[in-house]
Amino acid sequence: MGFSFDYLLQGFATALTLQNLFWALVGCFIGTLVGVLPGIGPVSGIAILLPLTTVLPPTSAIIMMAAIYYGAMYGGSTTAIVVNIPGEASSVPTAMDGYEMAKEGRAGPALAISAIASFAAGTLSVIALTFFAPMLAEFAVAFGPPEYFALMFMGLSLVISLSGRALLKGLISMALGLGAALIGQDPLTGAARLTFGTVTLNAGVEFISVIVGLFAISEVMINVEQRIAVISEFDIDNWMPTWADIKQCMGSMARATGVGFFLGLLPGCAPSVTAFVAYDLEKRVSKHPEMFGKGAIEGVAASEASNNATSTAGFVPLFSFGLPTAPSMAVLLGGLMMYGLQPGPMLFAQNPQFVWAVIASMYIGNVMLLILNLPLVGMWARIVKVPFYILGPVIVFCAVVGTYSLRFQTFDVWVMLCFGVLGYFMRKLGFPVAPMVLASVLAQMLETALGQSLLISQGSPLVFFTRPISAVFMGLALLSIGRGIWVLMRTEAPEVAVEDVA
Amino acid sequence: MKTQRAADIAVGFLVALLGIFVLVSSTWISVAGVHRLSPRTFPYTVGILLVLCGAGLAMKSWSIRGKDFAIVWPDGEGIRLILVSLVGVAGYIALMNPLGLPLATFLYVAFGVWYLKRSKWVTALVIGLITGVLSHYVFIQLLGLSFPAGFLFE
Repeated sequence: MGFSFDYLLQGFATALTLQNLFWALVGCFIGTLVGVLPGIGPVSGIAILLPLTTVLPPTSAIIMMAAIYYGAMYGGSTTAIVVNIPGEASSVPTAMDGYEMAKEGRAGPALAISAIASFAAGTLSVIALTFFAPMLAEFAVAFGPPEYFALMFMGLSLVISLSGRALLKGLISMALGLGAALIGQDPLTGAARLTFGTVTLNAGVEFISVIVGLFAISEVMINVEQRIAVISEFDIDNWMPTWADIKQCMGSMARATGVGFFLGLLPGCAPSVTAFVAYDLEKRVSKHPEMFGKGAIEGVAASEASNNATSTAGFVPLFSFGLPTAPSMAVLLGGLMMYGLQPGPMLFAQNPQFVWAVIASMYIGNVMLLILNLPLVGMWARIVKVPFYILGPVIVFCAVVGTYSLRFQTFDVWVMLCFGVLGYFMRKLGFPVAPMVLASVLAQMLETALGQSLLISQGSPLVFFTRPISAVFMGLALLSIGRGIWVLMRTEAPEVAVEDVA
Repeated sequence: MKTQRAADIAVGFLVALLGIFVLVSSTWISVAGVHRLSPRTFPYTVGILLVLCGAGLAMKSWSIRGKDFAIVWPDGEGIRLILVSLVGVAGYIALMNPLGLPLATFLYVAFGVWYLKRSKWVTALVIGLITGVLSHYVFIQLLGLSFPAGFLFE
């Protein structure tokens, strides 16, 4: 079940079929577009398109979804550099130096170095993923329901404790996500829960509706409110960076890749978080830290390398343990389950052709993205000029089509609209969205694992502390909760979450 | 709710009320047979979490003195834009079954573009028409998804 070149080669053979190459290219293109356009992020992009991919075979669909995700990480830098509006939260540090470079007439090299850094980090991280994921999956074979419950519990507690100073808001967000997922029939007994006698609610609330609402609709509402009309300010003439630029950035790319990848293995460390960590590290090790924020090309390279490394690293816990570390990964997990695939250690054993094809497609996708992003950098920068009055209604159209096609019921679209309004208020009031998304996707798995664990232990909750692996996870979870409470007690200001939308 | 503190107190209170509602609703869940994990356990947990965290948020915010900041709420024009846009989306959803996806999409996108731009209705109609026609050919014809086609295309 572990790593073998045969599996990887078979994966390449599958990924290199004309059909899968086509869908990877479509995914890379849509992903870059999603990253470039403000108002729609990778989570919304994947969530909207997921139901529409049911016409594709599972491997092609997930190859495309994964390409959208890492493609969006590539594309997010364009608006950050050209118009100082980060397409994604993870591109905020890119904007700090990239936009300054653009003002100096170096928008082209800034865009090019961000594409090169993304490529280098993406490729190095896929290599790490190739070796790490099967290794961890082999370890995870020993996991039973108590270990899975403890792992998911730890994942959720880490996501909540990393919500800035907003522990209580993170917990409320998680509870709302769990509550939304509980609506409908209990999977074990079939009892109707929180349906209030409504037949429509018996079938439950689709998590895709929740996610599209929370991300796409609330983002459109924010943009409508701010009356954003994005116009590109800089023309991209000469996009080639000099050799000196590349040499200057090589160390930054390597360090940021390491930071992004290893932090990206942890739940809650979204690209938006690791990009700041890598940027800060670069500033500390730089010989001219005063240049950061004033057009330091290493700042662009570090930020872009780390957010791409993190996005790839998220696939390691997803494939090995079935644990999503960020909202995008939660949507991908949902996508895998939609296709009847159960992420986790058995994925490598039972569906090696699928998992290795997806991993192999990431190598190919990175090359595609470099080709799409380097020579076409001017085209992407021009796309930024699409005004919001066109983009907004089109995003809503995509969101409506995506959620309607889940079950072909307008009920799902109404749910999306309701969660859009909720997401808008959550953002305004400083509530983190990530715990809600993760909880809504993990709820059923958590409940099933808890039920099975209690069955094994004949009702004793001590089972989580008497088995070594689950005890370690529970210990870490309790530590992270303890840390969150400690931060909460010391905070003398109102709670506001760190933005977490990748 | 102009400041974060005031908003947190109000929201904390509302969340606690929601938690009580969830707790009460959870008692209506039927528990037939003997189970290691009752179908009420998770809903109860959610209710208790909401009550505790909501009350905690309200009380913590109440106790904060001094440090506070304003929430940037939309101005009158912003509120109007959001509300009309939301009504537009609601209309789109409501009209999708009776009119079909292409026509409802045309009407919504044309209205949305016109409303957000406030001029050039010809542009709005053209963009609406393109999106509506594309929705029919891509999602209904090409992908064969079961969207309502509406009287125009049936």
